[in-house]
Amino acid sequence: MSRLSDADVRARNASAWLLPSGDERTNHRLRADMRRYDESDEVDVVVVGCGAGGGTLMQRLARTGASVVGLDAGPFWDPDADWVSDEAGSHRLYWTEPRVISGSDPVPLGSNNSGRGVGGSMIHYAGYTPRFHPSDFHTFSLDGVGADWPIAYQDLKPYYQAIEQELPVSGQSWPWGDPHDYPYSPQPLGGNGQMFVRGAHALGVTTKVGPVAIANGRFGNRPHCIYRGFCLQGCKVNAKASPLITHIPDALAHGAEIRPNCMVNRVVVDGRRRAIGVTYITGGVEHFQAARLVVVSGYSIETPRLLLLSGSKEFPDGLCNDHGQVGHYLMVQGAPQVAGRFDAEVRMYKAPPPEVSSEEFYETDPTKPYKRGFALQTVSPLPITYSEHVSAQGHWGEALREYMRDYNHWAVTGALCEFLPRYENAVTLAAETDRNGLPVANFSYSMCDNDRALEDAAQHTQEEILKAAGATETIAVKRYAHLVGGCRMAADATQGVVDADQRSFAVPNLYLVDGSVLPTQGSANPALTIMALAARCAERLAASRNQGAPAATRAGGGL
Amino acid sequence: MKDREVSSGLARRHPPVTPGGKGRFGDFDVLGQVSRWDLVTAGVVLARLDTDPQLSFFTAEEEPTVRALTDLLLGQHDEPRVPVVEMLDKRLLAGETDGWRYEDMPEDSDAWRRSLAALDDEARALHGERFSDLPPERQARIVQGVQDADEWHGFSAGHLWSLWTRYACSAFYSHPWTWNEIGFGGPAYPRGYKNMGVDRREGWERPEVDARDPVPWAERREEALRAHEERQDASPSEERDR
Repeated sequence: MSRLSDADVRARNASAWLLPSGDERTNHRLRADMRRYDESDEVDVVVVGCGAGGGTLMQRLARTGASVVGLDAGPFWDPDADWVSDEAGSHRLYWTEPRVISGSDPVPLGSNNSGRGVGGSMIHYAGYTPRFHPSDFHTFSLDGVGADWPIAYQDLKPYYQAIEQELPVSGQSWPWGDPHDYPYSPQPLGGNGQMFVRGAHALGVTTKVGPVAIANGRFGNRPHCIYRGFCLQGCKVNAKASPLITHIPDALAHGAEIRPNCMVNRVVVDGRRRAIGVTYITGGVEHFQAARLVVVSGYSIETPRLLLLSGSKEFPDGLCNDHGQVGHYLMVQGAPQVAGRFDAEVRMYKAPPPEVSSEEFYETDPTKPYKRGFALQTVSPLPITYSEHVSAQGHWGEALREYMRDYNHWAVTGALCEFLPRYENAVTLAAETDRNGLPVANFSYSMCDNDRALEDAAQHTQEEILKAAGATETIAVKRYAHLVGGCRMAADATQGVVDADQRSFAVPNLYLVDGSVLPTQGSANPALTIMALAARCAERLAASRNQGAPAATRAGGGL
Repeated sequence: MKDREVSSGLARRHPPVTPGGKGRFGDFDVLGQVSRWDLVTAGVVLARLDTDPQLSFFTAEEEPTVRALTDLLLGQHDEPRVPVVEMLDKRLLAGETDGWRYEDMPEDSDAWRRSLAALDDEARALHGERFSDLPPERQARIVQGVQDADEWHGFSAGHLWSLWTRYACSAFYSHPWTWNEIGFGGPAYPRGYKNMGVDRREGWERPEVDARDPVPWAERREEALRAHEERQDASPSEERDR
């Protein structure tokens, strides 16, 4: 998509112009003047979770004139006062309430994939915003693995374009999947990006700079990136996109309310299987917010957990769980990372970690023994994260110290492998409870043979690339990245939790708008797709509202 | 601005401090940049220079064991030490977990207490002494035994190893003295970076004093350790190496 003028983007989403242009990063006046609903008001929509899905949806719905309240378990962040340019000090950005991990290949949560507070996991994501490929939407028909979505790439394409303009995304012209351009030109490269490009090109592997949700230049009142390398610790600059600065300000300007530090513990459903609102705990006290439409946007662990916590006489096994689908088909991408040692200084801590990608290996290659593929990206870990990489080699004591003293000579790349959705990979409720007395999530995960073959291939390819760039030694670590699925969309209620419009099969005025609805994950970072789905969902809700009938009298779930 | 200069002056020392006095970057001192950091970040980072040894989470009984263990894991055998135990103590007291635990592991604080007790149990069973009273070579063999085991004193050894190293490394590599050791630029807001790319430095960044790859040295040391262990394993009884 070619670049629209800033004025065109501003006309439909003024967030970047609602931020202050001076020394502050937060528009405190906008927040102080925020509309506040009374708990006794039955609002049009209550949204549980203000991240990629919830934040985008709120902005769109507020613009249609709907009354919207967003509840978030975490804070309403102020980048100036709350965030630091420091790895360990960024602990508070992550979901650190207790969770249990199990299965034959348990997946660590927290800093790797789970956000907390307004902006969600996009506060600490790297900033990569690739689209899914058209093939991702029907892997079962194409390759006999995974699942077919009830929608196709073309259904999402206009929303991909819209969100890419609003973040905005910078990068080179994209040759893979559905070829497209980005609204902003690519960022300059640091040492890590240069090494990846050098190695890949020596092997004839195409790379492209981006796609990264950091404008190359000013955007509205958001300043230019300062290349400080702390993208994963929350962007104090306001250069890297997250809903906190790309959609929430415009939502507030159109009358939405954000209620931070509110942990929703139940979606309340009446005897006719209609949602009437949610209960939430704040300050140790339970409250109830009535709403005509309930949207759950808590991501792949907390959304299924909330549904399972919302069981009732009508839903003895958990809300929307008539067919045992809630919490299942939860996915993570295999994300092996490889570090390479160079005689030159790389100093990968300079420049944003998201720099360069290759999707050369994304699609199924009939000559390979596995289905689907992987993407390659630069990652640039800071010292604590890199010490985990070294420690994973078995090094400790003096050996650990010596590897770490050599930090400035190492470049690190990462892969995203399309691990397949499996029913047994699921969130269930554990016996352990959190401080509110609510059972915590137990996330069980086990890999299949195709996953392992992909992971090995992705590791091997990275080793070859770094060696081709001149690395004298490589060290690899196997790990995971991202979460999607757990309440997937499907053609019918026996196969998933929501339909193609993200409306739950079981409760007509309950929608799920987050990464949990994805039936497959491709080899793409999920944020852009979650936002595009939210924008599509909002447009379809608004269209049903324009049909004119008062929401409460309609059988359907429109506004 | 005056306050910032004062804090910068308090934080800096000459020559720059590195853990155990081991550096690679000469007079590079990340604390010389404090005046270029935002105040919120500066507050968080400078608080780590606090070395008050008053512990609240670890008991007096546990303290020597956790000091010996973390010294080994991080190769901290000489002063000045990064106050890793003090940092772990604060973290465990606050219940600041990583947001998950393995299903077969107790909660983090419990796992720390139980594993420290197990180290002493093992040391007493093998050598009749507390873990912290053993010579470093014997401590190292016990710790290596945990890394090599599948199951250790009722723990999944790999999951325990993960807990120990995650807590130890995240404390150690969050400390500005360690950044001096590895040549890391530290906090970078609002200053940012101007000179990105291979072999490019900011004016205040420093090259290594010795640019040779230190890792072959580390490998030689590991080989020597392994050879040492094999000799020990070949000895007929524990009595011999007492």
